[in-house]
Amino acid sequence: MTERKGRVKNRPSFRAMIFLRRLSQGVFLVLFIVLFVKTDYNGTDHLDSAVNLLFRLDPFVAACVMLGVKSFVLLLLPSLAVLLLSLIFGRGFCGWFCPMGSLLDLTGKIVPQMDRNNRTSYPNLALIILVFALFSSACGFAVAGYFDPFSLLVRGMAQAFYPLLNSLTVGFFSFTYRTFPEVVNHVTEPVYGLLQAFILPSGQKYFHLATLSFFMLGGVFLLEGVQRRFFCRNICPLGAMLGVIGRWALVAGKGGSNDCGSCRICTNRCRMGAIDTERVIAMATCNLCFECVQKCPRQIINFGVSAPWSAPPSQTSLSRRRFVGAALAGVLLPSVKGVEALAKNPDPFLIRPPGALEEKEFLGRCVRCAECIQVCIGNALQPAFLQAGFDGMFSPILTARTGYCEFNCTLCGQVCPTGAIRELSPAEKRRLKIGHAWFDKNTCLPYAKGIPCMVCEEHCPTPEKAIRFKDVELINDAGLAVSVQQPYVVSGLCIGCGICENKCPLPGKAAVYITSAGEDRNAKSFLPSSGSIPYAG
Amino acid sequence: MNRRQFVRDVLLWSTGLSLGVPCFDVADVSAAPASPLIGVANGKDYKLLVVKAVEILGGIKEFVKSGDKVVIKPNMGWDRTPELGANTHPLVVRTLAELALDAGAAGIQVFDYTCNEKRRCYASSGIIDELEKIGDKRIRWEHIDPRKFVPVDIVGGKSLKRWEIYQDALTADCYINVPVAKHHGLSRLSLGLKNAMGVIGGNRGKLHHNLGQELADLATVIRPRLTVIDATRMLLRNGPQGGRVEDVKIADTVIAGTDPVAVDAYATTLFGLQPEEIDSTVAAHKLGLGEIDVQRMQIRTVQV
Repeated sequence: MTERKGRVKNRPSFRAMIFLRRLSQGVFLVLFIVLFVKTDYNGTDHLDSAVNLLFRLDPFVAACVMLGVKSFVLLLLPSLAVLLLSLIFGRGFCGWFCPMGSLLDLTGKIVPQMDRNNRTSYPNLALIILVFALFSSACGFAVAGYFDPFSLLVRGMAQAFYPLLNSLTVGFFSFTYRTFPEVVNHVTEPVYGLLQAFILPSGQKYFHLATLSFFMLGGVFLLEGVQRRFFCRNICPLGAMLGVIGRWALVAGKGGSNDCGSCRICTNRCRMGAIDTERVIAMATCNLCFECVQKCPRQIINFGVSAPWSAPPSQTSLSRRRFVGAALAGVLLPSVKGVEALAKNPDPFLIRPPGALEEKEFLGRCVRCAECIQVCIGNALQPAFLQAGFDGMFSPILTARTGYCEFNCTLCGQVCPTGAIRELSPAEKRRLKIGHAWFDKNTCLPYAKGIPCMVCEEHCPTPEKAIRFKDVELINDAGLAVSVQQPYVVSGLCIGCGICENKCPLPGKAAVYITSAGEDRNAKSFLPSSGSIPYAG
Repeated sequence: MNRRQFVRDVLLWSTGLSLGVPCFDVADVSAAPASPLIGVANGKDYKLLVVKAVEILGGIKEFVKSGDKVVIKPNMGWDRTPELGANTHPLVVRTLAELALDAGAAGIQVFDYTCNEKRRCYASSGIIDELEKIGDKRIRWEHIDPRKFVPVDIVGGKSLKRWEIYQDALTADCYINVPVAKHHGLSRLSLGLKNAMGVIGGNRGKLHHNLGQELADLATVIRPRLTVIDATRMLLRNGPQGGRVEDVKIADTVIAGTDPVAVDAYATTLFGLQPEEIDSTVAAHKLGLGEIDVQRMQIRTVQV
């Protein structure tokens, strides 16, 4: 190792640590992106890898879900390992592993920061969010997905950035294809082919709330302009949770000393704002990036192993009043949900993915990670807006006009990290009823105008058709006597996949549509039929 | 306007060099031969059935010249496995591809604009698997590229005057139509003319409002040099996608011909129906696109 003239270089072991940390960030970020892109149909019915692993490592998600459904969820067991690791490495997870953190570090290299004094803007906020989220989840109001870094990240990517990337790329290559001569296309088309094969999704998807998802994730990145790792310091409840344990971590920073004089390079440079003006390192915040060690001109600041009980007292913590306030808000807010009109009259167009649990249990488990939405082969699953209430925002619903549920596909249940959507066998999936189709005879062409159509019947996927037709003689809209086929639904066969609504050739509103009536997951829902007396009793 | 001019128009339009919508005038549609030849092969060896049926017509070299760009258009529009009879049998498609390679085709494209999700359809149909077993780089199976739909004026059309059609289907030197013979709720049967639905864009459901005529109108522009109807399995009920083996009849038959109306008409008889019962066959016959009367065809059957 060469020593540079006039300046003592840092201890080589810490330079190696910084290299290792960057390597780790890079490897996990690439792994995350690969898993994200692979959260897609792979040519077989079974998906072998998906980005759901990330959520199963997330103790904040695990705590909220388990409190929400009041039971142990085995799928989330891996998150325990992260908790245990934080007993040794504190928030090292945030600095070395978290893909959101790594992306923010990358953003920080591009976005200039406004805040020079590097004091964390709202040092208590993340803890308040954590306490609020845990209490409100326990009381049946699942808000983990609003704040969880992985939910924000995967959701923003799935519902905005990834489809946007595709749209822009396809737009560009359509332009070159249509405008430029063959010579240019000989170069551009192979590039396009490669992108399609390895990076782009198989087709363009469209999403409700794409703009909102874009701004939520984009906002997290833009906040990097306020201070470095703004989200991690001020908002991230997962980070706060790891910090609560991390303050007693085995690995601990040894702050500055009297020898430092007026130097506060570490204080001003720390990306987490973990070092105070006395140069004490708060291990509840420090994410072990080790850059302070590198930047310390006199090699004073250092890290080592410390006894867990010797945590310094000056750590960020909530005052009793704030804790009680956050907890109370978490307890009270869910009660408002009970007087929403939706509590009495649920939205009939709220179609959940096949295998979704009963609504209360489903919302308790769903962390709005958008993986089902990302993997949905038909662009059928969309993030809900207010159809499922305030706490149901971004939870998956099927809107058939943008996409239908593919008959043989079981991918959403395979990727759900929390089991909010059960994994179904293909045979079970093909029988499971998620809704029911209804004809609007005022607009359906064979009824309204005597015009032949039957596109719905053609596409109906059940082996014994759930949509059938009867031959009818009538006077059509031109006043002519014609014979026409009129469709109808066989309730016992319709599974509510929505392909009829999707393929209905009418412009705008389809003449056949799906409601949640009769869905299998809801014991109270039923379909009246002439064979039973549903209204009795 | 002749075909060469038309192909040039399509290519000009798709490279943005021409703003005029390509227009296909039916005037040059050569009068269909007085008594079209239909090759029919029966037997269990599906590869041999294709070979023999095409041999009756004079062999593949009648259709594919050395250096030709060939398009093979099977029906693989549904996420269904081969035994369910909703898609063309993979061996039928593979054999045609092999024949075209033997005849010196420069490139063979295989595609369909699917009804279910495209990748699932291609995989479940078994066709991609079979094509990859050939292992020849000249064969390219591909998904529909939305950039390649070209609006075409259909001068000979009675009901359909303009529609978006897939460029490669229009410009291929040899377009081979390989439908599967099956039941269809609205049109009663789905055969050769109906298979053109897989090379057109737009809101395809709209065609259903006058399906028979509009399929015939499309047939004035989409003109296969060879049609091979796969009736190895015939889906008799719950078409066009089926889903139950009980609805499938094993018929072990392949039909080949150059007259698109005649092959459909003959295949109709296998279902115990009359050609006149299928609207698209009747409409296409009236447009002068081919023969509907089975008595006036030369049908040569071979047992394999």
